[in-house]
Amino acid sequence: MAADGQLVTVQKVEPASNPVQDEDLEQYGEDLSGLTIVDVDVHVDDTLMYMLDYMEGHFRKRMETVLQADFKGEPGNSLRNMIAHIAWLGSSYDKPPRAKLATKEDLLARMEKGIIDYSILFPSELLPVGYLPEPEWAAALATAYNQYMVDAYNNLAGVKIAIVVAPQHPDRAAEEIDLHAAHPDVVSVCIPDVGVNPPIGDEKYRPIFEAAARHDLPISFHGIEALIHDNYPLRVAHFHTLMQVNSMGFPFTSMLQIMSVVCAGIPVRFPNLKFAILEAGLTWMPFIMYRLDAAYLRYRTELPALEKKPSDYIRDWYIGTHELEALPRRGDLVKLIELYQGHETTMWASDWPHLERDLIAGFMRYEMDDELRRKILGENALRFFGLTPRK
Amino acid sequence: MTPDKQPSLRSRSRRKIPVAPLHDFPPGTRMEVKVGSVQIAVFNVGGDFYALYGRCPHQSAPLSRGRLQGTVICNAETCWKTEWAHDGEVLVCPGHGMEYHIRSGKAFGYNLRLRTYEVVVEDGQVKLVM
Ligand code: FES
Repeated sequence: MAADGQLVTVQKVEPASNPVQDEDLEQYGEDLSGLTIVDVDVHVDDTLMYMLDYMEGHFRKRMETVLQADFKGEPGNSLRNMIAHIAWLGSSYDKPPRAKLATKEDLLARMEKGIIDYSILFPSELLPVGYLPEPEWAAALATAYNQYMVDAYNNLAGVKIAIVVAPQHPDRAAEEIDLHAAHPDVVSVCIPDVGVNPPIGDEKYRPIFEAAARHDLPISFHGIEALIHDNYPLRVAHFHTLMQVNSMGFPFTSMLQIMSVVCAGIPVRFPNLKFAILEAGLTWMPFIMYRLDAAYLRYRTELPALEKKPSDYIRDWYIGTHELEALPRRGDLVKLIELYQGHETTMWASDWPHLERDLIAGFMRYEMDDELRRKILGENALRFFGLTPRK
Repeated sequence: MTPDKQPSLRSRSRRKIPVAPLHDFPPGTRMEVKVGSVQIAVFNVGGDFYALYGRCPHQSAPLSRGRLQGTVICNAETCWKTEWAHDGEVLVCPGHGMEYHIRSGKAFGYNLRLRTYEVVVEDGQVKLVM
């Protein structure tokens, strides 16, 4: 019906039982048509029950025991819930609709909607793998995850996989990279950046970097809440709310790992190795780059392997936009990117389907020229992951 | 343009846009109304109608699809004790959970108020006043 020449539509709707996703919205249409969009941080249901068939010997027995436990009554049992949410259980009063775990069918439905050209799958369950004190158990879980993902998600149009490694077992991590690197759907090695102790620049992790460089497979550090661990890198038990841990955990651990990699001279030893940092937001990038530069002036002799100042290495790192900070003005994102020189390295990331995922509209509200928008939404990620455009 | 020639909002005639017959819009239901490019969320909460601007200012999620529940408050009136309040009157954004008071459009914890619209019932029709 028309009123003052304006089209009026009325639709009866129901409250959403899951958070709305980009693919649920009809609002993008022309804005995004013709653009290549690569979502560099996507999660599917990888709860432990899927790992059982990929575990052997006594670890399979152990997994059977784990699966009998009922953590928060969730199907498939959750390493994350086991480790993480105990301390803050219920702190959000069940306020937002709880994000459900995305099945393969959910992912395929999203891809069929045609907004996203590529989804890069990263672990959810295995992100806390760095916490596990037993290297063999951590490595067994990573092995199971990788094989499960490669079996279940191979050869799907626009779907690519980042394998995960358990950093506490560098030799097994290198074997995982050697095993999967040639798979056409494996596009990155994910190193969880929390719980990695000592920090990832330590000499003991060299086999991981050697293997990734050998296969020209880019490394993606993926953040996670600093959760409940009480030592490295933050004594998070001193914070009373999950919000504080969440806000600081991701960027702090990301900064620590970037600092560690650069100060260890890894980019000098492996000049072709590409790095990305995911799920930590963007605003701290100028801080860590130029803070390190300031200190480098005084302490350069501690880092004799470096051939240029720290920010010259860090600006080559790729970075995922999620969790995109709520900058107050529409021009602020471009200013921020200029500060860390990220025109060629910033990649749009949603964190789909998690509750904190970013909707494309959140990125589109920032003003920028078309060229930069194209780079961030897709072109930079195509280059980082070695993908060819699908349209 | 001189002030007296400028059409003021008050003098402009208010449009009434039919939303639905009353019997099709019972308590506990909601409608998503689009007037041109403007999206508006209309709710029937226990027989009272409320209409708010329908897109969340955070990342544009459709507020018509938010759940209605309560929230926690802590202020001088509660003697700085945390209490559950506004049960059934808090619209929770289906995007990331920002909360809005359905009566006023005020966002809890933000210096932000969504535009609200008057809703009238005339001749058995629910109408949005714009
Ligand atoms: S879109 Fe409403 S809270 Fe994010």
